[in-house]
Amino acid sequence: MSVILCRKEQVKHPFFMESLGVHIYTSQEMCYAMYHHPLLILDGFLDQNFVDFVRDELDMGFTALKMERFMKRGENPDELVFLFMQECGYYTTAELNRLRQKIAAYRKLPAPEYARQKADYLFSLRQYGKAMDGYEKILEDAENKKAEDGFLGAIWYNLGACRARVFQFAGAMEAFDRAYGKLKNLSVLEAMYHVTRMDLSLTLKERYQSLVTEEQKAAWDADFEKAGEAAACSEAARRLEDLFGRDPIRRQEGIRQQVEEWKQEYRAMA
Amino acid sequence: MDGLTLGLDLCDAYTQLCCAGQDRTWSFPTAVCRAGGGEEWLTGEEAYARALAGGGVMVDKLLQLVMKGGTATIGGVRYEGADLLCRFLERVLALPGERPVVRLVVTVPRTEARLLDSLFACGERLGIPRERMDVISHTEAFVYYVLSQKREVWNNQVGMFDLSEDGLCYYEMKVQRGMRQTTVVAEREKLDEGFNLDILKSPSGVHLADKILCACGERLLQRKLFSSVFLTGKGFESQDWASEFMKMVCARRRVYAEPVLFAQGAAWRAADLERDKTAYPYVILCDGRLNVTVSIKVWHRDQESQMVLAAAGEGWYGAGNTAELILDHQDYIEFLVTPADPRQRKTVKLTLEGFPRRDDKTLRVRLQIGFLDENTMTVTAQDLGFGEFFPSSGASIRQEVRI
Repeated sequence: MSVILCRKEQVKHPFFMESLGVHIYTSQEMCYAMYHHPLLILDGFLDQNFVDFVRDELDMGFTALKMERFMKRGENPDELVFLFMQECGYYTTAELNRLRQKIAAYRKLPAPEYARQKADYLFSLRQYGKAMDGYEKILEDAENKKAEDGFLGAIWYNLGACRARVFQFAGAMEAFDRAYGKLKNLSVLEAMYHVTRMDLSLTLKERYQSLVTEEQKAAWDADFEKAGEAAACSEAARRLEDLFGRDPIRRQEGIRQQVEEWKQEYRAMA
Repeated sequence: MDGLTLGLDLCDAYTQLCCAGQDRTWSFPTAVCRAGGGEEWLTGEEAYARALAGGGVMVDKLLQLVMKGGTATIGGVRYEGADLLCRFLERVLALPGERPVVRLVVTVPRTEARLLDSLFACGERLGIPRERMDVISHTEAFVYYVLSQKREVWNNQVGMFDLSEDGLCYYEMKVQRGMRQTTVVAEREKLDEGFNLDILKSPSGVHLADKILCACGERLLQRKLFSSVFLTGKGFESQDWASEFMKMVCARRRVYAEPVLFAQGAAWRAADLERDKTAYPYVILCDGRLNVTVSIKVWHRDQESQMVLAAAGEGWYGAGNTAELILDHQDYIEFLVTPADPRQRKTVKLTLEGFPRRDDKTLRVRLQIGFLDENTMTVTAQDLGFGEFFPSSGASIRQEVRI
């Protein structure tokens, strides 16, 4: 239990952290983002743009200078993270050591596994566009083509999930198809079946039709209906209902805001 | 010097004005009179004279009127107490001449919030902005007056009797020399034995008054080592009537009579504020100033330190601070209230009821403290949110704390 005194920072131009889709206004927020999302800051995040923000907006000229010199010397870029965070004093040394261990563990991972974890993390943050890029890069890498079927199948499956979430159903179907080729797993068939429910122009390939029993289809249909019902009762759906219950002027304004919100959300994730 | 540096002693009964660097002082009753039916305003003796002659309506006890938020109706027009005080001060401040006032320090018996608000508002109206004006208590003016004398005058304790129409008050000041800082502690005691100065007009009254003062003197001065004792107020303009008291008080002590002491003390203070570096590098604890230091414990780079929000010796009216804090695993803010004797330190807890429970280190709070008087602190805490990660809930809390 403790109290931390905040630095007086007059940030006029916040730092936009694209991977999280948030604007950062203070050094504490920056440290928080770095500490909780280390996978997002390890590869080229701390660049000159970041240093400019530290110097010009956070008014930490000395720290910025140290970072610039550090970068010029070409030292381990991960250490830049700690240089900045230590200067901010937001996290204790013990907490920074924990972060150091976490980053070291990531760095020890084989390259494909590291890339997969990063893409998975982006997926968990609903950054599907960036996650797709990550998965596609893993699949394109010649070295990775020799990887185990289980690994590649999982990558294809995740790519399919990403595509489905940004409404690229045909692409999702193709990715699931490739995933099934590697995994031979019923859950992949289930995913494909659900894609056909979302995009009625798509159908399960004939070779898969024979693999799915009518009982399984009925169960998956039930799951699909259940998910639809849950979505209909969700907070978001309730808010929409409220919106349409308002008088025409307020409704119009609400709809405009909602559409704008959806657009932003879609842009952020695609 | 381009302008005037003034010390003004403002009481219900009298007002005294003193200009730093000048021997001349002005002393007159605190009264204002609207003459005839027009907008001619008179002050002091002139106000009394015109009112007695039936040429106007006079209002006195202006400080009480202001503190009560009262009004006075003159010729069918209702005047706020602060308005009358402003008219009074306008004429008073014109007495030393046409030069602009570069610094004004007003001294009043007690520094009450409403009176101070009104005085600063008057200052603004009269072209003296807040940064060029200060209001201090009589006790503080006494301290500045004494500290402006030779050191031998205040080596040990210093006592003072103030006998005026407002009553009899005793002041005592002592200097505590410490390793790190020197602290000056001064106190004021309004004595129940106070009497009306009119009794000095009869021989029996004089005898009685002398006896009363003797009794007070013996009680207050015994078994203490005084470097000096001061006598001030209208009652001590002449000390001939208090022969027994003077005999008692002058025994083994230096005694000084100074009728314009508070105004001069205020003028010394005003002159000091004009300097780049103070001539009084002491912590002064007295009426109008905080007797305690208020701080909070904060962590920075694995080390706990204390952040002082208000320091003992600061004037309570202007004291206060704002800080932005992040609370880590706690839903309260704890203040350390430390008096001159650190063994009597106490803690005051502000529980943030109604504030959201958030992820670690993301409860960012703006903390603001101020004072209603020397003993009452106001604390306000407001949830600022944590950027776009956690928008503010709008929660806030305000508490008054006796310190």
